[in-house]
Amino acid sequence: MVNYGGDEVSALVVDIGSSSVRAGYAGDDTPKAVIPSSYGYHKPEVDAAMQDVADDPMNSSPRKFAKMYLGQFGPSVWREAMDVANPLSGGLISDFEPVTALMRHAIVDVMRCNPSEHPILLTEPAWNTPANRERMAEIMFEEFQVPAFYIANTGVLNAFAAGKGTALVIDVGQKMASVTPIVDGFVLRKGLAYSALPELVHSHAHNILKSPTQHRRGIDLYPHQLIANKTAVEVGAPPQFTFRDDRVKGTTETWRYWYEAREVDEWIQSVAGVLEQGWNDQAAASRPPRQYEFPTGYTAWFGGERLLVGEHFFHHSTALTESWMRRTNTSPPKPIPTLISESLRACDPELRQVLVGNVVLTGGGSLFAGFGDRLQNELIRTFPHVKIHSPGNPIERRYGGWLGGSVLGSLGTFHQLWISKEEWMEHGKAIVSQRCK
Amino acid sequence: MSNSAEVRSLLDLPAARATPAPLQKKPSVASTRKPEGISRELFSLIGPSSTTLVTQLAKPRLKQKPNFGASSKVKWEWRPFKNGGRADALQLKHWAKASVGPEEEYQFAKYNVQRPTYTYSQEEYTNLLEEKDWTKEETDYLMNIVQEYDTRWYVIHDRYDFPGGLPRSMEDLKDRYCSVCRKLVRTRPWGGDEASKQLLLSSFNFEKDREVLRKKYITSLENRTPEQIAEEEALYMEIKRLEQNERRFKRERDDLLRTIAGIESGLPDVVEDEAQFSGIVVDTKRSKKKGGNDLDSPSTPLLSTPIAKRLPKSSAFDLQNCITRSDPPAQSSVTKAAHQPAFLRSFKIPYPKAAIAPKVTQALAELGVSHTRLVMPTAANVALLESLLDATANLVETKKLVDKLEYDIQVLQSRLGMQGSAKMEETEETDGGMDVDDADGEADDDGRAQSVVSTRSTRKQVCICCALASFALKHGPQHRRSVSISSVDTAATVSTRAGTKRQRRS
Repeated sequence: MVNYGGDEVSALVVDIGSSSVRAGYAGDDTPKAVIPSSYGYHKPEVDAAMQDVADDPMNSSPRKFAKMYLGQFGPSVWREAMDVANPLSGGLISDFEPVTALMRHAIVDVMRCNPSEHPILLTEPAWNTPANRERMAEIMFEEFQVPAFYIANTGVLNAFAAGKGTALVIDVGQKMASVTPIVDGFVLRKGLAYSALPELVHSHAHNILKSPTQHRRGIDLYPHQLIANKTAVEVGAPPQFTFRDDRVKGTTETWRYWYEAREVDEWIQSVAGVLEQGWNDQAAASRPPRQYEFPTGYTAWFGGERLLVGEHFFHHSTALTESWMRRTNTSPPKPIPTLISESLRACDPELRQVLVGNVVLTGGGSLFAGFGDRLQNELIRTFPHVKIHSPGNPIERRYGGWLGGSVLGSLGTFHQLWISKEEWMEHGKAIVSQRCK
Repeated sequence: MSNSAEVRSLLDLPAARATPAPLQKKPSVASTRKPEGISRELFSLIGPSSTTLVTQLAKPRLKQKPNFGASSKVKWEWRPFKNGGRADALQLKHWAKASVGPEEEYQFAKYNVQRPTYTYSQEEYTNLLEEKDWTKEETDYLMNIVQEYDTRWYVIHDRYDFPGGLPRSMEDLKDRYCSVCRKLVRTRPWGGDEASKQLLLSSFNFEKDREVLRKKYITSLENRTPEQIAEEEALYMEIKRLEQNERRFKRERDDLLRTIAGIESGLPDVVEDEAQFSGIVVDTKRSKKKGGNDLDSPSTPLLSTPIAKRLPKSSAFDLQNCITRSDPPAQSSVTKAAHQPAFLRSFKIPYPKAAIAPKVTQALAELGVSHTRLVMPTAANVALLESLLDATANLVETKKLVDKLEYDIQVLQSRLGMQGSAKMEETEETDGGMDVDDADGEADDDGRAQSVVSTRSTRKQVCICCALASFALKHGPQHRRSVSISSVDTAATVSTRAGTKRQRRS
């Protein structure tokens, strides 16, 4: 143990992402608790809200939520009039109240730990605001009573998980894609580039499924909880199913939307892909189409369009740019090559070669079929000596940030960096940005 | 008399070491012990010498059983520890061996090393560190941030944000920091030795202009378009190809030179058998050969320069060292046949033609000259001998012709005797070779060879006389009789011509 510089102090590592919250012991190779970041809740009724305050001050807040449904059986379970929300927007925590509840759920209910007994290592994206991390520290010390706390950058942790101190981390998550240059374990903030690219890909896929084409009709993305029964139909034939009338009425818009997004994600994960050598109509046509069955029983073959989905990670067609501009009045999120070149341009010329030789591809979104090969091909054109480190193990890819935290939190040399409760009391919020550089 | 100790003390020698006698006794005592696994009777027979037998007879020993006993049990306990790297009293807990005392220093605290910081007073700043576009506040900020990020310059440059300051490049920051540290180290009293101070100073050495230029080069290298890169690669390949060609060409030319000129080519690795001999001849030969080579390879100054340099002083040098230079052929065609390698002059000693050799030898023997024994074949002597032989050969030829003519005359006279004497006289007059007639007359008396030598025609003396004279001078005692040779007249040549003319007519 000493040989590897490890000294475990039973620290906990909590990694909060857009899709899930990961928590576990530092020194483990996988997080013990992985729960969805989205949560279900009931809006408080005006009179009931007052009761809740007295009943359960910990799990719900008097103002927003009458009751919260977290974890594995949280948002995914149909409940009458249950709304679904996500406390993160753009990779940053925008609502701390549910985050506290989520962390408590992960640590106390799933891991069965007492947070006041363990130092906790949190993660933050590189574009996190100082106010946000200070608030986080406040929650950890004031609410969870942790003995020590540290907040580390996901980019740095991903580089550590890949065993590198200097790296160009390409992190494709559920909502955000980022390119972070790391030097000696520090983020080069000027070289940071990120965009909501996965969201664009997702909405494009959603659009493909919903809109009818000449071969098929628009697809209804009803979740299976709303379907009472269905019969097997031919490929391409209209689905035959009946709704669960008892549920349809009580379903909220947010829950339905969340489920639709989940259906789209599942479709992307099983069907969509990207051409390794760049878009080419013939190459796309030569790929075998794939079949997919939706919860309604509708089945279809997906050919070229499934490959078009991934193209948006690397290249935006003018049509897409225009339609995006019309809809949101902003330019679409930058594709990966643009992010990389922006990031490298902001770095020292001497550093570029080093960074390109140490590219770390991570994040659940990077598991998109063909993504790694396409990235390699895109990069090798401009940087012939590029070397991409991308773990083959999906666990390491998805929880790279947590894994790096697990490595860092179990190092003997790290323990002098913890912000102790004593220091927090003494210095207040200033200590956070002073210690966590 | 006295024992050895006394002698030693007298002679100031150190006391004798332990005497060898007791040493010899010891091993016998040790070896008498019977080794294990061998019976006493056998041991008494074979004695202690056979060690191989012992190993074979020894009882096989089993591997020692691993000991999992209570003695090796390590007790670990979960206990709080104090981290020396921390300023506060945070007590984290970890698993530690119970045997290790809790008051022991945390093993990872030793990795918490800090670089020495450089601080300066206001006075020092105003005296030493003033610089045009740096304020003291910004310098303070720089020193702090460098300390904070442990001189990781990329990170420092990334995080550098001095409110109201100028935009700084990484080189600016590095330059300022290094110059401040340099000045402080130089001016402050130094505790250690000079070498370590120089080492420290050199670690703060930073050439800003060079770094900026280097970065610029890197940038320009990166900004090449694919076409430029392709062109550069093509050019590089071309250069490599040309270099290779040139190398091949040079190698081939050297080979050629070596083949043609041998050692004289001046090339370093000529394979030569007679290095000692050629060493003498090289000088003579080189100048001659060079003329040919210069025409051939004007592109190699390597070959032509040393000759040109050596020429001016060569005449005096040659005289002193008895070196004779033969003129290079003006338009020497460099073929293998034309090539004249090094040789010994003795090979150049002339010999008479095989057909007339006995006659020449005979003629010279009559004169008492021995041409086969040239003691000192210098260039001059060889030349003289050659001319002597030539002259002798000519003499012999002439005599032969004279004999023939005589015979012809006799035949014709006898024919005339039959037809009438008038025509005969006519012929004699038209010829105009009166001398020949005279000679003929005398020759009849004494025999042919004798008559030729004694011919007394003083019309023309050929170079053979001079040649023989000088030859005789040099070989004085040997050629005493050369004087008689000088009397040989070479009017024969004239008569030879007349003879042939006549022959053609008749």
